[in-house]
Amino acid sequence: MSGTLLLQSALAGLTNGFVYALVGLGIAVIFRGTRIINAMQGEFALVGGMAAYLVLDRLSFPLAFAALGGIAAGGMLGWLTDLLLVRPTRRRGGTEESFLLLTLGIAFAISAGVLFIFGRDSRLLPGIGGETSQIFFDAAIRTHALWLIAISSLVMLLLWLFYHRTHIGLSMMAASIDEDGAASIGIDVPRMRTLTFLLGGLVGGLAGVLVSPLITIHYEMGLLLTLKGFAAAILGGLSNPFGAVVGGVTLGLVESLAVLSVSSGYKDVIAMTILILIMIVLPNGMLGKRARKGG
Amino acid sequence: MKQFESEVPSSLPASRLRSVRYRMWGVVAVLFALWAVAPGFASRSVIDMLVFSGLYTIAGLGVAFLLGQCGIVSLAQSVFYGIGAYSTAYCTTHYGWPAPAGFAIGVAISAAIALAVGWPVLRLSGYFLALATLALAIIGQVLFTEWDWLTGGTLGIGGIPHLNLFGFVLNSPQRFYYLVWPVAALLLLLHRNLLRSRTGFAMRAMRDAPAAAAVLGVDNHLLKVKVFVLSAVLGALAGSLFAHYVSFVSVDSFGVDRAINFLLLAVLGGAKTVLGTVLGALFITIMPRLLSRFGDIHAVLFAGCLIAAVIFLPEGFGGALGRMAQRLRARQART
Repeated sequence: MSGTLLLQSALAGLTNGFVYALVGLGIAVIFRGTRIINAMQGEFALVGGMAAYLVLDRLSFPLAFAALGGIAAGGMLGWLTDLLLVRPTRRRGGTEESFLLLTLGIAFAISAGVLFIFGRDSRLLPGIGGETSQIFFDAAIRTHALWLIAISSLVMLLLWLFYHRTHIGLSMMAASIDEDGAASIGIDVPRMRTLTFLLGGLVGGLAGVLVSPLITIHYEMGLLLTLKGFAAAILGGLSNPFGAVVGGVTLGLVESLAVLSVSSGYKDVIAMTILILIMIVLPNGMLGKRARKGG
Repeated sequence: MKQFESEVPSSLPASRLRSVRYRMWGVVAVLFALWAVAPGFASRSVIDMLVFSGLYTIAGLGVAFLLGQCGIVSLAQSVFYGIGAYSTAYCTTHYGWPAPAGFAIGVAISAAIALAVGWPVLRLSGYFLALATLALAIIGQVLFTEWDWLTGGTLGIGGIPHLNLFGFVLNSPQRFYYLVWPVAALLLLLHRNLLRSRTGFAMRAMRDAPAAAAVLGVDNHLLKVKVFVLSAVLGALAGSLFAHYVSFVSVDSFGVDRAINFLLLAVLGGAKTVLGTVLGALFITIMPRLLSRFGDIHAVLFAGCLIAAVIFLPEGFGGALGRMAQRLRARQART
């Protein structure tokens, strides 16, 4: 195994890792705000990517507008999901399972809807910096992948600041940690939950916009993205804001090294085995210190 | 606690109780008659659909059992369904062994895997456990594709012989229909008996108050593993039957979507009631076909039905029916 090959696959793993991290970040945001595991996070990305593609292709707006459109579409979807579906379920006394199934059902509906409206075609967005690549010691990485890593890191930092330094972010955390306590000091708990879904949707839409120059937009892309994102979030620890990145990058690197040493067909087997092992051995994730959340 | 309530309100006078009970038996008799004569007038495709409902009832029973009695969300049933089907396919076509060998090997492998995997995984709970089983389903799907020397990969295995019961070859949907439903009914009956046994009470105690159950001497973890193995065996059984029925198996039948279907079946039917599983199985086989007349949008409509069912029928069809029956009885008692 030559050094270049190793470096090349490490770069590919890093890129994939940040993709998983972005999806996992959205899952962690929604979990921390509402205690719901959102099985439609990948669908936020699908809708975000699709919306960006439509703005770019049908309206031929510049890429920046398309990206904004995609992010907005993700946020809108998150907002509507909470308002129209999650709230009624909660009012009827939804349990952990019912929320999981609800989001799974919505994920199916969206995936089927995209298939119905747009068909089976795969679509690609142009990346930032076009098709150009950067060379590190003979190994190439897409310029867009570097942007993806930079933007996701920035988003992570902004989210940390949002949750620790802004009034509304702190209120959202309070609403999730102690519902009654938050309500008694005047926090509108249902509204905070809706905002959480909006935020999760925005992050998901961003993930879609950033991912679709690397992975094609396809009606079936959601479920696997959700799972890998979830694996990333769990790996790093759901309660830690930086957990998703650590988890995502670990997952991506292990996956691409596994492809090198075993066979590309077993990539998902290895990723899923790691997920199961980590849940059993390190239930708090690699960065988690506090009591485990989620099961 | 709802599950410890008696069947009928105690305020009901004995005569009324009897009439209610007679009426219930009447309904059962009518349903049975309908079931028995259905192949006589229904078209082949309808019977085919009902055969699949029967198969899904058996596999879904395992999932419903885990969900309703132990509170475990399992998305791994497609793996055991696949193991059953591939065992039958491989043993009958590759070695030419008789059908019971395929059933036995499928059940044995499934039980062994469920035991080996369930032991560590069932220490998890809640979302973690659900996701762990989903991860298993993905691993299963990939391995079914990759191990093509065993499973035929995407090309599948064809030419699986039809079941032969004492010289009577079950080679048509109508004939298979009369095998699969009695098997399903028998399993439902066994399931009901298990629920009313000591073990059944232990399960419900574990679901509702794990700590209290442990104090009373229930080994929660061991019980969960046992139920998981039982559920895997049901999955393998349904898978073997499926392989004999369609005589061709390929990896498409054992994907994650199938696992999700089994879970939906359990949730829609209402995992806490025995008959709910049948209703759920009928729903997930009949509804897509009914909706398909609206054209390509049927998948969206089906997903919409699911969402509506999760929101409006949190206890599934079985739970809703049970509540309706209770309300009827209460009204009769009042008049």
